[in-house]
Amino acid sequence: MIKNESSPAESEPVHKSYSEFARLGRGGRSDSLSPKLIFRLLTRCLPLIRPVRRSLIGLIICSTLALGSLALPAIIAVNVFWNGALAGEPLSELQSRLIGLPISEYVQVKNLSDEARRTVLRHLVVSVTLFSLLLTPIGVGLAYWRVWILQRINHLMRLEIVDRLQTLSLRFHSDQRVGDSIYRMFQDSSMVTQLIQVLFIQPIQYFFRFVFSLGIIVLWDPRLALLLLLVWPPLLFIGHLNSRKLRVAFRRAREANSALTSHIQETLEGLKVIKAYGAEAREAKKFQNASKGAFAEAYTARNRFVGYKVLVFWCLGLCLLVSVAWSTYLTAEGASLYGQRFFVAMGFASINSGIWDLGFYNNFKDRFGNGSSTARSAMGLWAVVQDVATGLDRTFELLDLEPEVKEVSHALPLKEVRSSIRYKNVAFGYTSDRPIFSDVNLSIEAGQIVAIVGPTGSGKTTLTNLLLRLYEPDHGSIEIDDNDIRNFTVASLRENVSVSLQENILFSGSAEDNIRYAVPNANRETVRQAARIACADEFISKLPDGYSTLLGERGTRLSTGQRQRISIARAVIKDAPILILDEPTASLDAQTEHAVLENLAEWGRSRFIFLVTHRLSTIRKADSIAVISQNRLREFGSHEDLMKQTGGEYRRLVEAEEFALDEELLSK
Amino acid sequence: MRKDEDLSDQITARGAIRLIRRALLYVRPFKFDFGVKWTLVLISFLPMLILPWPGRILVDHVIQGIPFGEQPKPFPFFVQPFVDLVSSLPMESVLLLTIAVQFALLVLTGSFGIDSGESDSANDFGVPEGWDTATRTENEANSGFSLVSGLFGLVDFRWTIRLSQKLNHHYRSRLFERVQALPMSELNDQRIGDSIYRVMYDTTVISNTAYQLILTPVLTPIFIALQSWVMASVYGWDSPIFFSGILFILVAFLPTLPFAGMQRRFSGRSRKTGATTTSSLEESMSNIVAVQSLGGENRQRERFDADSSDSFRQYRLRVLVDFVTLAAVGLSGAALVAYIFIYVGDGIIAGELSAGDFLVLLSFFVSIATASGNLGGLWFRLQNDAPGFSRVFDLMDSQPEESQPDLPSLPILKQSIEYKNVHFSYPNASPTLVNINLQLRLGQVTAIVGPAGTGKTTLAYLIPKFIEPDSGKILFDDRDIAEHNLASLRDQVAFVFQETMLFDSTISENMKLGRPEATADEIEEAARIAGALEFIQDLPLGFDTPLGRGGGKLSVGQKQRISIARALVRKSPVLILDEPTSALDPDTEKTLVASLREASRDRLVLVIAHRLSTIRQADQILFLENQFIQEQGSHSELMRLENGRYRNYFEMQTRGID
Repeated sequence: MIKNESSPAESEPVHKSYSEFARLGRGGRSDSLSPKLIFRLLTRCLPLIRPVRRSLIGLIICSTLALGSLALPAIIAVNVFWNGALAGEPLSELQSRLIGLPISEYVQVKNLSDEARRTVLRHLVVSVTLFSLLLTPIGVGLAYWRVWILQRINHLMRLEIVDRLQTLSLRFHSDQRVGDSIYRMFQDSSMVTQLIQVLFIQPIQYFFRFVFSLGIIVLWDPRLALLLLLVWPPLLFIGHLNSRKLRVAFRRAREANSALTSHIQETLEGLKVIKAYGAEAREAKKFQNASKGAFAEAYTARNRFVGYKVLVFWCLGLCLLVSVAWSTYLTAEGASLYGQRFFVAMGFASINSGIWDLGFYNNFKDRFGNGSSTARSAMGLWAVVQDVATGLDRTFELLDLEPEVKEVSHALPLKEVRSSIRYKNVAFGYTSDRPIFSDVNLSIEAGQIVAIVGPTGSGKTTLTNLLLRLYEPDHGSIEIDDNDIRNFTVASLRENVSVSLQENILFSGSAEDNIRYAVPNANRETVRQAARIACADEFISKLPDGYSTLLGERGTRLSTGQRQRISIARAVIKDAPILILDEPTASLDAQTEHAVLENLAEWGRSRFIFLVTHRLSTIRKADSIAVISQNRLREFGSHEDLMKQTGGEYRRLVEAEEFALDEELLSK
Repeated sequence: MRKDEDLSDQITARGAIRLIRRALLYVRPFKFDFGVKWTLVLISFLPMLILPWPGRILVDHVIQGIPFGEQPKPFPFFVQPFVDLVSSLPMESVLLLTIAVQFALLVLTGSFGIDSGESDSANDFGVPEGWDTATRTENEANSGFSLVSGLFGLVDFRWTIRLSQKLNHHYRSRLFERVQALPMSELNDQRIGDSIYRVMYDTTVISNTAYQLILTPVLTPIFIALQSWVMASVYGWDSPIFFSGILFILVAFLPTLPFAGMQRRFSGRSRKTGATTTSSLEESMSNIVAVQSLGGENRQRERFDADSSDSFRQYRLRVLVDFVTLAAVGLSGAALVAYIFIYVGDGIIAGELSAGDFLVLLSFFVSIATASGNLGGLWFRLQNDAPGFSRVFDLMDSQPEESQPDLPSLPILKQSIEYKNVHFSYPNASPTLVNINLQLRLGQVTAIVGPAGTGKTTLAYLIPKFIEPDSGKILFDDRDIAEHNLASLRDQVAFVFQETMLFDSTISENMKLGRPEATADEIEEAARIAGALEFIQDLPLGFDTPLGRGGGKLSVGQKQRISIARALVRKSPVLILDEPTSALDPDTEKTLVASLREASRDRLVLVIAHRLSTIRQADQILFLENQFIQEQGSHSELMRLENGRYRNYFEMQTRGID
């Protein structure tokens, strides 16, 4: 579920995409499924289908051929069985050729002897068996091919979703539940495999199959064909009555299951806290409620689905019974077939036949049954389309989001950062009515260290995130060498920035992999070098497998201080001209902090370094200090400059800290 | 949970049997529900017995005009009354009455006796599915089936969905509780994505297997027996129809044998790779800040690409095994079907059977053969589920945190917590703590100080029994915590972790985690002490502000303060703070430390900290280095030690400032 505070889309163009998503996420778009939407879904999926279009067309042609090569021999076989073998009527030329019997004895006779009937029977059965033997491997091959194609399409869609999720800004992600992304990625997107099937292959198949059945039934009796046609108005009415309800039910079921997935994910993520606070029982209860809720919605949806299908079945069953009564009557009367001459001419019936006999009676029942079961499948398909459309709609909600951070069409790669980085009148807020800060102006020259200081929550981290374009500023701009960073490609910009994050996130993988996360091909020596700068070499070497030690998910086996140093090493190894260290030393003891900062100062001589920190010992390493508080950049200058400002914010901070220490030193 | 050495790949046939047998035990609480389902299925067999006869009446007596009683084979006893009723009526009336009976059957059970491939059952359900295990299993969890349709089918169907859901709900809840009960040390390697997969998608094998094992082996033979009995009453017991139908058990079983192992292997791999794919996405999404700021998008994408492709491949291979097996069974069955056609055909040619008999016999043959095939294919179908069980049981069997639930409760702490000769080491690592002896008193603030990575957090983890010492004891007022129940121990401890973990609910919900009954005043008070009140009140919705995922909209320092407030709301006698102030600005820190001092009057407070300003306030300082507590005492006591480690440490930090 996507939460949304009422941030109105109109007033804020930047957030529009996000707000739109939030609105759509609460259900509704596909509640009004129109042919237009279905068409849109189709066209939207075309790019996914394009890479496999040859295979797809090949598959359709092959399947149609296979199906066709099955249908005609089936008609012939049934007639040979009933009329030839069971009733003893002579075969047509085509029939006898196909099962390999001489024409002279089986066609040009008045009646078949019992002996001949037995021969016909054996020949027929053997031919049919051999024929199906031949078709089996082809059938398996086609089925496998089909699975491959459908999976391929699904896979392409998953990749598109990953790409989209990864390009969406943090503003989106701070509200997006991980479980929901997982659900959309796997469950909802899998509907794309059905899309081809239910909106493309099957409707065409059903249409032709129905028309084919209808056309053949006309040859028996046009009135019966009309009967088969007349069943459609009531069917369509049933469909019309149910489709909206089905869609709503399916959507609810999907939302409930997605919420359940989120619930599991979130509980597991915070499991440590849950245990510490003895909240397991309550969480288990919540889980059960979510699980029950998901099942209840699934129950409603499926019940509706089945109810709908039973209705359709009654309707078609009635029609079928009428046809049975009617055809039985005609056969009993021995009425002649409407297409009598055609059957004889085509060799489907012997010359003295062409009336409603047992062969044609049974064949008719097969054809009519085929037509009505096609209609039933088509109606079932209609219900399935409702679910598929609902699932795909949820997927496209995600894919259609405009990323907040967009590249301009002529974006250039940022090749090097030479002399300066400038923030010009930068303003930002997570929601428009609550700015975090505005009118921020600051500049930093190459080789400088800027410390960003200020009370918790004043936006220090956000300020550096803007440089990375994890968000876009609401106003103002950031320039590198006098070029707005929006003119650069996002990838090249981030290439030039190294970050050590405040929350020391580690990825699953070895210590080495984690350090070279941004530079996957770095060799061991480079990795060690970076680790040494971050004072991490020593403890990593002591791990059971040294640099190859696998770190548990989110690196929980390491202490925070150790993780922090890996995170710093990760930033160092990237060797980028801009380095952002967010509270790099918060969890380090004094000694380690000192060593790390010495190393970094040495290493960062010609770079731009941003230090976000509270610690005075860290701040003192900086060339200039930016103090940010109460939505403004309050002070900006060197330590000496800022200390000169009586009543200055920075001076007050330093004095408060030093007072405590002085007191301490005095007491010694 | 042993994540990487999942045994699914190597389940032997015997292992599969063991898993399945155990699965059956899990169904026992649902005896009654299965009893009802049994009855429903048994009832649904009845219309199937009637199915073939209307067709024979139409073909033999209406179309061919054979008078009743002169057909080669008699009618079974339950059709005879109808035959007696219509035998003297004109052809048109016979036709209409027969159709009328079929109509009634249609409405009630959705089946009627014409072999047009049109006998519907709700079994053919057709909810859309994707082509991987996860998507399929979600439908499995809600599966309903019925052999018939119509009104009766609806009832049967609803009952079955409910039953599936009950089973799945029961077991996924239990599995979820098991995951929650995993010991803290096991959480390290826990893959969240993998657990999601197990809870959501692997548990569904239970309902599926239950149906296979409880319904099929009992009901299918009954069905075959009923069909055979009716058939025999008309055509005699020696009919080859019966024997070739039964033979289908072997036809459907033997050809699957070479493929069963393959099916197991691919199904297991499909589940495993599916779980890996889920983990892969879960990790990218949970760490999106890191991914984006480190430029890891391509890496994560490549990993996901590889995982997802692999998971699709494994599922595809499993499906291929399905197809091939099906074809093998079909081909072996083809010979039998051919034989039946020749046998019946010969009978009609010889005049022993009527053309209508053909339809009846064929329909009997198809239903007996299908049922036999179903029985014979049972083993093969179960292979798909066995690896799922292995994954579910694997987690169910993991050692829970509390192995003895019935220990006495621990009384409320009155005086002190003591460590006695405590040793601790993590698996495969050198000892973390050696021979720790110390005492923490109520009303005191104790600070643990020392270089990073020396086991300060580990030392604190021992108190709420997140981990257990290798040897030695931890005493609450002289009572060994190992001998008391876990809930009563944890109730007394509020722990603030280094990493802040907030949930996607409102601020006040988050703060009430440890004590849901806390009042608004208490929450506000806690927020005030933790220095969080001001910024919370600045938010438009105040305490009702939803935090977003993991508190994503707050700064780390703000999250830290909410975590502290959450601990204070708990009102527990023991308060442990693991680096509570690392992300706080000096002002906030100062107020916080002062408030904590105040709070410690009736509490035992343990603080892990690097900041001197925090440490200095402690009544007792423990300096931990190289697995031992090196020094212990108040700040001034420790500063008096010439060349003391704490003093060195302290001076180092002061020099950094000066």
